[in-house]
Formats: sequence, C-alpha cells, structure tokens
Amino acid sequence: VEGREEGSGVPAFEKDPLELTVEDVYDISYVIGKDLLKVSRVGAEVSDLQFKIVRVLEMFEIMVNRYNLSLEELRMERDNWKEELGRVVAEGSNGNIIGPDKLVIDLKDPNRPRFTMQELKEVLQERNQLKAQLLLAQEELQLYKSGVMPQPQQNMENPPSDPPLTTEESIEHKDEKTTIQKL
Amino acid sequence: MHFIPPVSKNRIISKFPKCYNPQACLQMKEDWNEKAKSACLDRAARQHGMDRLKMSKAVVVGDLNVGKTCLINRFCKDAFDRDYKATIGVDFEIERFELSGLPYSLQIWDTAGQEKFKCIASAYYRGAQVIITVFDMADIKTLEHTRQWLVEALRENEPNACFIFLVGTKRDLLSAEECQRTERDAVKIASEMNAEFWSVSSKTGQNVQEFFFRVAALSFEDAILQEIELSSSSAVRIGDGEILKVDAGDQQDRAARKPSCC
Repeated sequence: VEGREEGSGVPAFEKDPLELTVEDVYDISYVIGKDLLKVSRVGAEVSDLQFKIVRVLEMFEIMVNRYNLSLEELRMERDNWKEELGRVVAEGSNGNIIGPDKLVIDLKDPNRPRFTMQELKEVLQERNQLKAQLLLAQEELQLYKSGVMPQPQQNMENPPSDPPLTTEESIEHKDEKTTIQKL
Repeated sequence: MHFIPPVSKNRIISKFPKCYNPQACLQMKEDWNEKAKSACLDRAARQHGMDRLKMSKAVVVGDLNVGKTCLINRFCKDAFDRDYKATIGVDFEIERFELSGLPYSLQIWDTAGQEKFKCIASAYYRGAQVIITVFDMADIKTLEHTRQWLVEALRENEPNACFIFLVGTKRDLLSAEECQRTERDAVKIASEMNAEFWSVSSKTGQNVQEFFFRVAALSFEDAILQEIELSSSSAVRIGDGEILKVDAGDQQDRAARKPSCC
C-alpha cells in the first residue's frame, strides 16, 4: 500500500461510506497502521487490539470490494434491460399496435394498405357492371354466330331488367340493380 | 318478339330434380307442382315467358377456404383450381337454364369468406331467393359456423322468403366412414336451419350439377307460383272494381306474402 497524505487530512475519512473503494480502504489501513505503530511503542499489551483492528480492516476491505462488484453487476443488468426495452418499443412501432385500435404503417413497404373500403366498393361495383356487360355481349355474339338475330339493335332493347319476382324492387341493392339493368 | 340465345343443352331441366338426402330436404315431391306445370305449358305455348325472363338470386356464404368459389367454378365453368385464392369482396356468375320449356336465369353471388370483406359482402345479401351456406366436410368447425353465416344472410332478407341450402364440400378428402359421420352431423344442423343438405366435391364434380339443378328448379317453381298468385289476386281486385288500388295492393301483397318454401 502506497502512502499518501499524513494525519487527519486523509480524504477517505471524509467520503460517503457507500462511495468507498478498495483503495480508500487501503489508505485508511495505512493511516491506522501508522498510528498503531506509535501506540505499540508505549505498551506491548495493545498487540492483541492491533491484531483485531487489522482483522476488522480486512473484513472492511472484503465488504467494500463485494459491494462495489454487486453494484457494477446491477448497473450492467439495468443497462441491458434499457436496451431491450428500446428494441421492443422500436419493433412495436414498426407495424404493430401502438395504442388501442391503432395501426402504424410502414411507408416504405410497397405492399402497405393504402386504399379505403369505399374505394374498394366502387371498384368492385364497376367490375360487376363490366362483367354483366361482358356476359351480355357474349350472348349477343352467340346470337350473331348462330344467325338467330339479324339486326344488332334488337337484343339491346330487351334487358331483363326486372329483379326477381319474389322480392320488391326497393329492397334490391343499389348497385345490384344497375347490374341487372345492364342485363 | 325478342331474341334470347339458346340455352346450352346441359342446362335444360325437364324432370324435377331430386334432393340429396330425404332427411334434410326442402321438398319431397317427385314432380313439379301441378299449377306451376300447367302455367309453364301455357306460357311456353304462347311464347309468353319470353317477355319476362325470370331471374333469381342466390348468395353463397361460408368460412374462408371452404370452397365457395370452387363450387361455383365447377358448375359454371366446369373448372377446378386447387390453389386457394381469396375472393375479394364479391363476385357473381349468371347461369341460364331452360326449365319446363321456359328460360330462367340464376344469379349466383360468390362472397368473400374473409372477415375483413364482410362489410362489403353483406351488402349483397339482400333480395336473395336462395341462401347457400357452405362448409368444408374435412373441417368440422366450418360446419358450426354455418349457423352464424345464415343468421347474417337472413338479417338482410325477409323472414321465410328464402330457400336455404347447406352444402358440404371436399367430400373426396374423406373416407366413406368419415363422410357418413360428417353427413349425419350436417343433416342435424340442416334440419335446425330448415335447410336442404348436399354433399359435394368440386374437385371430382360429384353432385355439383345435381345440386345447382335442384336450386334452379326450386327457385324457378317458386317464382312461377308467386307470379300465378300475384296475377290471380290482381284479377280479383279488378273484378271488385278496385282497379285504382291494384298497384298498392300488389306491393303490400309482395311484402306480406310468405312463400311456402320453408
């Protein structure tokens, strides 16, 4: 153990006990050791007390050492959890739920949802109408091919526009009606 | 006089189609209703049926991947694709038949089974004469769910105004014993739902045409009978001198009437 300052000015004695390091314990031991040497010159009966003090200082050294190690372990553990938490939060905001009934969308995802239900409904409606027209056109074509219908206009004037007889027209769905009208 | 292209030969139904299982059957009779039969004969002779091409609407509902689209494609296009492709919202096909000498069309509305499309598909339930609830015979959960699908489809329609069918698909995947067991369960649920049960395979085509012929025949006959009823009731009113009320009365009649189907 290296000696540092003499007398009562030892900084280790002024420190918060929870901030003591093993080096501080060695400083304290050095100072106490020096003082004991002075005392032992006066009487040999203090050698037993001297031995006990050394033993207490050794215990003190072990305790400070262990305390600092535990503290360091806890700090590392805490930092790991912090990191983990940060990772989970980042992952969570990557497209999963970030609040009740909320969804975060990755704007870089080319396959991200971006059309509304209303838009889909309209597209479907249009598709249905076109399909109905296609069916009509196919039937007409079939007529021309079979030679049953000589003039193109006639079939167009015969749309079986009525909805099925079993229901009222009013309860037919709007776009379905138009589909049927096209027929 | 209008022109309608001839119905393809394999869509001509002359004999009244039989049910699949008498234990879950909507109508046990062997032949067409007599009144309907004579009305058809009369109309066919006068070419009267041509002025109003009859069309009924059938909606097909059930869990995703039970094979609704496959069932329709087997019947309408005689095609089968084993790969699953989700139906977006709704799709439809129109099949033209000739029944008892009269032209008849069936709109078959194919709906998406995926939950996210329900709000779109359910808008197409209304005005149906036929509700076809479909389940996968190899997945018993889907049979349980047909009850809920039916409730949702009926919510959009008049009570007792629809023919209800319960169709089990993929029967080719089951052994004979499994098939028997599943059919027994399905018949039970069908009778609870007042539905007619069919067991089909879109892959092999087994019972598919028979099923749709049955759908077409029952809905066609019902449409004819309703027309007869309507015209006779307006005739009575005219005789009563209530000519001006005919239209309104007609509408009320239509709303109030309960077809004899269920």
